[in-house]
Amino acid sequence: MIMKDNKVFSHDIIIIGAGLAGLRAALEASKSTNVAVVTKVHPLRSHSISAQGGINASLSIDDSWENHAKDTIKGGDYLADQDAVEVLCKEAPDRIEEMEKWGTLFSRTNNGKIAQRPFGGASYPRTCYASDRTGHNLLHTLYEQTLRQGVIFYEEFIVTSLIINENTCSGIIAINLVNGDLVTFKSKAVILATGGYGRVYNNSTNALINTGDGMALAYRHNIPLKDMEFVQFHPTTLYGSNILISEACRGEGGILFNNEGKRFMENYAPELMELAPRDIVARAIETEINEGRGFKNEYVSLDITHLGKDKIMERLPQIHDIALHFAGIDSTLEPIPVQPGQHYSMGGIPTDIDGRTSISGLYAAGECACVSVHGANRLGGNSLLETIVFGRRAGVAVALDLKEMDFKEWPLEIYKNEKLRIDRLISAEGKERIIPLRKELGRLMTEKVGIFRNEKGLLDARNKIRTIKKRYNDISIQDKGNVFNTELALALELGNLIDLAEVIVVSALARKESRGSHFRLDYPKRNDNEWLHHTLAQFLEDNIRLKFKRVKITRFKPEERIY
Amino acid sequence: MVKFKIYRFEKGKNSNPRFENFTIKEGEGMTILDALFKIKDEIDGTLSFRYSCRGAVCGSCGMLINGSPMLACRTQVGDLIKGKLNFELMIHGPFAFPSINKIDSMEIQIEPLPNFAIIKDLVVDMKSFFNGYESIDPWFIKKNKFNNENKMSQKEMKAIEPYINCIMCGICFSKCPSAKRDNKYLGPATLAKAWRFLADSRFENKKEMLKKVDSHRGVWACDTVYRCVDFCPKNVPSTQGITAIRRKLLLNKLIRW
Repeated sequence: MIMKDNKVFSHDIIIIGAGLAGLRAALEASKSTNVAVVTKVHPLRSHSISAQGGINASLSIDDSWENHAKDTIKGGDYLADQDAVEVLCKEAPDRIEEMEKWGTLFSRTNNGKIAQRPFGGASYPRTCYASDRTGHNLLHTLYEQTLRQGVIFYEEFIVTSLIINENTCSGIIAINLVNGDLVTFKSKAVILATGGYGRVYNNSTNALINTGDGMALAYRHNIPLKDMEFVQFHPTTLYGSNILISEACRGEGGILFNNEGKRFMENYAPELMELAPRDIVARAIETEINEGRGFKNEYVSLDITHLGKDKIMERLPQIHDIALHFAGIDSTLEPIPVQPGQHYSMGGIPTDIDGRTSISGLYAAGECACVSVHGANRLGGNSLLETIVFGRRAGVAVALDLKEMDFKEWPLEIYKNEKLRIDRLISAEGKERIIPLRKELGRLMTEKVGIFRNEKGLLDARNKIRTIKKRYNDISIQDKGNVFNTELALALELGNLIDLAEVIVVSALARKESRGSHFRLDYPKRNDNEWLHHTLAQFLEDNIRLKFKRVKITRFKPEERIY
Repeated sequence: MVKFKIYRFEKGKNSNPRFENFTIKEGEGMTILDALFKIKDEIDGTLSFRYSCRGAVCGSCGMLINGSPMLACRTQVGDLIKGKLNFELMIHGPFAFPSINKIDSMEIQIEPLPNFAIIKDLVVDMKSFFNGYESIDPWFIKKNKFNNENKMSQKEMKAIEPYINCIMCGICFSKCPSAKRDNKYLGPATLAKAWRFLADSRFENKKEMLKKVDSHRGVWACDTVYRCVDFCPKNVPSTQGITAIRRKLLLNKLIRW
């Protein structure tokens, strides 16, 4: 039965999200099936476009996938599942070469090969790049290829719910932002590729649209979220706006100074200095600032002036632009003021190495997924790699599995209930305003669940998030219209952010050790005897249930992490 | 306090196009995008505008600010009201002239991008813009097998790079006199994209692509007045790309003749 406001679309596969992971999955799956991508912004507005520094692959004969894997596992403080890391690093060269053949413009060496630069925590310069716009170039290429292959796009649709019945996912419900219709998509399978939740924090480098929608959708359908306490803080974000200042600055030779003019990384990572992994550099900067050696007690200096104008304009033109437009700094003449900021989610929806989740017909890839290749701390250049390696694998797997799957009917109540929920939300006339509540949540998370954590702060945060959750039920929406109602979109996103904040805090409270990005002042040591485990946090009506799962270790035994 | 005069409109029967005034307190480092959020939050939740990266890389928030098309996320409120707007930052073209209305008053006028249909308030319909882009088949089709590694000189990479930096924000199209005359004109962004492929030694479909832009709605529609280049937030030299394509087409015709 089709009601007036119940438009139904039907495709073999629905992919939610049109960043690199979503498009790579779409490209693969659409070879043999009918694929549609549902995205809340135009594909080229996806956050992948912002990726700057590069993408890792052991292309050189002096390098090897084993070296790449070793660096990745050590960088992740031995929490990564090593079988998954193997896949990531082995496939990397093929995936890069494929992108190049599809036309991605990479920077080049003198003899015309794809250029590679040094990056944090890497034992070899294996980060391929395109100036400092690597994400832009990759995303444009993949978008072009998906258009070529006739992938269908539903742009500016906000997914409100997954349709999961009898442990099988058979579609989604979404709002068409342009006309306000609540529509259903029937499909044999759904791939989540919705990216991260950066906006849980107010100091995030992420786009304003990064609200962890896919993770929250899965979580509310009782899929446990994995390793959510591991939140990456990027060491260098522009003071004030927290716009990313790429690791490539340090890869190209940038140096960090405190207010005493001292190159303080000497004290924290004497060997790799500025090119230690991100968790270590972020903690170092935060410590300098906390102990009074920052500027205005807020930031430190990132100096690239010694690279010279030519090199800066060749290798880091976008960074130069960002510093100029957003901080009034000419990076060829003066240092850039930087501070750590939320950047990436190592945790997410647990999947196998082919993107399969615990629900039949539901897959995930990219930042919203947790295949567990980053462990407790991701190395720079590995996230772009993850999107195209595991995006492709999810696409292959779903096309294969599709032979056993079919469209399913589901009870009409599923749509009716969702319509009721959305109608109720849009008619909300409570006391709370959405944007201030989102800001309050963001400040709370940065303050209490940031780089340094302790039990008291985390408990406090947990209680306050629960209060915010109650207040969320009393929000008001002034926009009652159907056309491009972004206030409704913001309200839906805030619901997602609050749920994910709670999961992050509860997971962080449980992990009584320090590992990678998760640093507990009250448990400052890594504890391999008890905590070589992944955290799994599952939604229950009024609580979160935690479970733990042993880390898969194959060939790299945990060692002390010295850089 | 700063006064914002904002264009309001809703697609449908009662579209009621109008300007509405909002006065807010200016904060340090506040961008136009920040200001729009502040208005949405504190005064009128129904105000709609697009946004995503807030770092001038995604191309969502092009709009007309005091008569000039700019990215809201990169434009500082303080610069506008103090009349300090730095022309060197904003305008790049060889024939750039200061068309940005430098005003010393405390009023900032914001409108949707011209040459596009309006959906709501500052949100425009970019469908035809992207349709034009798709119409040139902007993609690589590799005819030979994927086995030999492509090499490319640094020089070639550097020559293509300015054209690849386009973020498809539509700012060029909004100020293009040819686009104003003919809404189906492929436009500067799409033609810059075409040149990005034509200039790439790896691209094999050059003939087909040249054919697609060789029309009165393609490269021949351009007035070569560099308005697109003047306002492009990413310094994409679209007009130079268009003239380069024209040269190539003419040369081909001469050779045939």
